[in-house]
Amino acid sequence: MIRYEFLMQIRKRSLWITTAVLAGALVVLQGDRGPRYVPAGTPARIVMTNWAILLSILLPLGFGMVLADRLVRDRRLGVGRVLDSLPTEPRALVVGKYVGSVAATAVAGLAALLVAAVVEFAARRDVALFGWAIVVFALVMLPGLLFVGAFAVVTPMLITAPLFRILFVGYWFWGNMLSPLFLPSLTGTLLTPIGDYAASWLLGETALYAGADGFLPWLRPDPDATAAAASVGILLLLALIVVLLAGPPLYRRQQQAA
Amino acid sequence: MDIKTRDLRRDFGKVQALRGVDLDIAGGMFGLLGANGAGKTTLMRILAGVIPATSGQAVVGGHDLSTREGRLAVKRRLGYLPQDLGLYPDLTPREFLDYIGILKGLDDAAARRRQITDLLDMVGLSDVAGRKLKGFSGGMRRRVGIAQALLGDPALLIVDEPTAGLDPEERIRFRTLLSSLAGTRTVLLSTHVVEDVAQTCRETAVMAAGRIVFTGPVADLVSAAEGVTWEVTTAGPAPAHGVVVSAVSRADGTRYRVVSAERPAPDAVPVAPTLEEGYVALMRRLSPTP
Repeated sequence: MIRYEFLMQIRKRSLWITTAVLAGALVVLQGDRGPRYVPAGTPARIVMTNWAILLSILLPLGFGMVLADRLVRDRRLGVGRVLDSLPTEPRALVVGKYVGSVAATAVAGLAALLVAAVVEFAARRDVALFGWAIVVFALVMLPGLLFVGAFAVVTPMLITAPLFRILFVGYWFWGNMLSPLFLPSLTGTLLTPIGDYAASWLLGETALYAGADGFLPWLRPDPDATAAAASVGILLLLALIVVLLAGPPLYRRQQQAA
Repeated sequence: MDIKTRDLRRDFGKVQALRGVDLDIAGGMFGLLGANGAGKTTLMRILAGVIPATSGQAVVGGHDLSTREGRLAVKRRLGYLPQDLGLYPDLTPREFLDYIGILKGLDDAAARRRQITDLLDMVGLSDVAGRKLKGFSGGMRRRVGIAQALLGDPALLIVDEPTAGLDPEERIRFRTLLSSLAGTRTVLLSTHVVEDVAQTCRETAVMAAGRIVFTGPVADLVSAAEGVTWEVTTAGPAPAHGVVVSAVSRADGTRYRVVSAERPAPDAVPVAPTLEEGYVALMRRLSPTP
């Protein structure tokens, strides 16, 4: 099942278009602090972490959009009635759809980072860029994607996909990029799926807002290895909880369907 | 796999979809007739274990469908082709069937793939097994639907309006296929196309407004129109009395077949009824119109 959910998502044209458009926009619009301007001779770890945090600014937003229909589209397509008649537990169905579709989406994210590594390799001739591309993807981008993916797959079952997409855009800018100095926000906390803490640890300096003063100070430790691990752990735990809690609502939906 | 329901009821909010259904199905091919909105699909979905009844009893193959365990046990032995089946457009029929087979719990991958190959052959889709489903016609999609229902060799096959939207050739092909499947299993065919039941079922039930209004051999339903089925040929307007079941243009006028308690025209002659006329006569008896 995971295999086919993966196949369906990876064949989804909008996944690749979204990735290309958002990554392209970020490359063009990056400021002078962007990875294009990292000096020659900079370690591959720093170069690729800069790319990961740049891509993390917008790619998860696009990924949330393309994942938002994975569970609810079964009703729209008319497959839901067959799925309802099968002996599969709703929870297993949700987990299968989540793992398969998020894994395929992660491939698009990793591909974007590897393209950046190829471009950097052309200039820097450092083969370590490829290894670090995979490491920073796993530490900076993937936990956020798993977190965003869980909400994107499950929440539209409760509030519809279009409404989820609207709310998700608002959440993304409020909870990841809005400075906590202006308004109370989750930006700079361990709950930030943009990968701020992991990136800050890898860079050895604050990537965006990790640990910045603000709302919920106990969720804003100074960025270091422990804080990065805690951030990754919390995001994964929240994703797991959301996915596992989705079984009963899906079951209720089946029972209430006219 | 026998099916038994007693005083089965299902409400959706204030709408009473089923209002006390009593039904006994021993096996073989069984037709469930009724107009759109009669409650057929709701009954099918309850018997498929998809939704529970609001009250009453439904037992399928000895499994009580009021319990989650009972519904799960039925689902393990069930093939279900719902009305308006949708498919994943980006998968091929082979991939779609494999996906459904996995969800049905067919864990032996080699055996599952063998069965999929056999089923694709049986429904005549072997040549297009590698093509994406998004380009399939209605008939081809229905054939994928019946193939997915047959995965795992189910003891109970529930098919809801399987011939809707099919061309005549596809419809005949589909009916023949369903009949051949009924030899070793229970096939519950829900339809509003009377001809489908006439050609395939020995036993049938008729639903109207959430209730079973007839159950028994197809021949008994035919007899509901005995003495009230007429044929009249006229160049003038259609007979004013009764329900016109068919109208065939001829050189000397139009030949009408009419179901009516009274002789619809002075020159009307009584004729032997068909199942369709039996169905119309039954429905007319339930809600007579002037």
